[in-house]
Amino acid sequence: MAAADSPSAALRRRDLCSRGIRLAGKMRADVVDLLDAYVEQQGLDASASVAAVEGVPLAAVERWDEQTGTQRLLENLAAYRAFRTLLAQMLEEQREQLGEADAGLGRALAAVLLQVSAFAYHLEELLRLESRGIPGEEEDGPPPPPRLSLFEQKLRGLGVLRELAQWAVRSVRDLRQLAKPSPATGTAPGLAESP
Amino acid sequence: DSHTQYERVGADVTMKCGSMDWDAAVTWTANGTDIDESHLNGSYLILKNVDLSQSGQYSCYEGSSWHLKYQTYLRVGTPPKEPVLMCRSNNYPKGFYCSWHLPTPTYIPNTFNISVIHGTKDMVCEKDAIPKNRCHIRYLQLFSTVKYKVTLTVTNALGKNYTTLTFDEFAIVKPDPPESVVAKPVPNNPRRLEVSWQNPSSWPDPESFPLKFFLRYRPLILDQWQHVELSDGTSHTITDAYAGKEYIIQVAAKDTDIGTWSDWSVAVHATTWTEEPKHLTTEAQITETTSASTSSFMAPPTTKICDKGAVVGSGAVAVCWTAGLVVAAYSVLFI
Repeated sequence: MAAADSPSAALRRRDLCSRGIRLAGKMRADVVDLLDAYVEQQGLDASASVAAVEGVPLAAVERWDEQTGTQRLLENLAAYRAFRTLLAQMLEEQREQLGEADAGLGRALAAVLLQVSAFAYHLEELLRLESRGIPGEEEDGPPPPPRLSLFEQKLRGLGVLRELAQWAVRSVRDLRQLAKPSPATGTAPGLAESP
Repeated sequence: DSHTQYERVGADVTMKCGSMDWDAAVTWTANGTDIDESHLNGSYLILKNVDLSQSGQYSCYEGSSWHLKYQTYLRVGTPPKEPVLMCRSNNYPKGFYCSWHLPTPTYIPNTFNISVIHGTKDMVCEKDAIPKNRCHIRYLQLFSTVKYKVTLTVTNALGKNYTTLTFDEFAIVKPDPPESVVAKPVPNNPRRLEVSWQNPSSWPDPESFPLKFFLRYRPLILDQWQHVELSDGTSHTITDAYAGKEYIIQVAAKDTDIGTWSDWSVAVHATTWTEEPKHLTTEAQITETTSASTSSFMAPPTTKICDKGAVVGSGAVAVCWTAGLVVAAYSVLFI
């Protein structure tokens, strides 16, 4: 594997970042459309405040500009892995609730789930490029959520999608930061091991 | 004793002459001018249905001794109406500012108090020295789904009012318009105009938070705008302009991912290139130009009977032809 700061690695990183930015951009657009459809189909109020849902990774971050490249990749990866599980749960609930009645929403959810998985994989590629070990996924995953009422499920779904939309924007910004060449060495800032 | 008294427009005001009895003989003045006795009820001054022009210094003097017994500064005004509040981030991701004003003046001093809450957290909005009705906040968190709630309270001696704005981080992002917009004609290209501009200087990090742009242009004489959206770059060449026409051009900016479009930039004007020079040349100058470049078209003479089509000639005689007769003209020359 090329050294993390070799010219070919730098090129590959830039290429992966640009593709990642496009993936995240498309994902965000689809999540926003899905959110609109979800709100309408589930009969929710679009402006409803949803309290932070347990298990949903929050996009909000302090001192975002001070994060290292590795931090960005790891936090993004952890988030999208969590969303993969959450969206799969939502899809399951959707099928239970409505069966075939709302195939459109189910298809849209599945499409977003696919993009989330693809993006998670893309992030793993970027981490591999940095010769970073990819954190293993928990064997059992998070414990299954307690049985929620139908309404609670809907609100939870709203919280998941909203947070995912924020993450998609954050990921674009994170990848742009990663793609920036560092002025001194020509490598992306913050990707070297911290002392 | 002397103090300030605030009263509402339209109110009835009764002023007592300090500790003087009701039946004491007194004289009242308003800004140094004696007030007619018809406004008095005993030693009390009665002002009915006060208006703004009645603001001023009111003094009461004991009848015979002319000792000053009481003085007050009357200020007529209104309680505040609901203030107008606006918040915007033109320097994302650094922070945002809020600015406010009253829809109608109160004519008396007002104090403004602003509070900003993010979820459960109180944030401090630092007031700007200039302008006074503005404060700014630094973002402590980015990418939060939790909304911000800004409450502005305005208070004066006659009452108070307030307004609240609730918004999320992305919704208020609106850059300033692009700067240094320049538009130039392209030599020998009558349908082109080259436009360039710069990112607004208030936008702190265009590399990490790139802007996209919207260009609009029209000939001065038409009302219909042409639009072009540009996802990056700070220049564009218009290729469908009308030759020889003056254009008006403006540019707007937006963060590529979030928020809304800026206002339009200052308008710039440019006229597309044409063959016709603006200033007319004499025959002698035409002769000079001809010997220098035999293959180029020449300017038509002053009479303006000619089209902007080709004028062909060499030597001392410049002949004006319409475009269709150019070939014939050439053959005449070579005979």
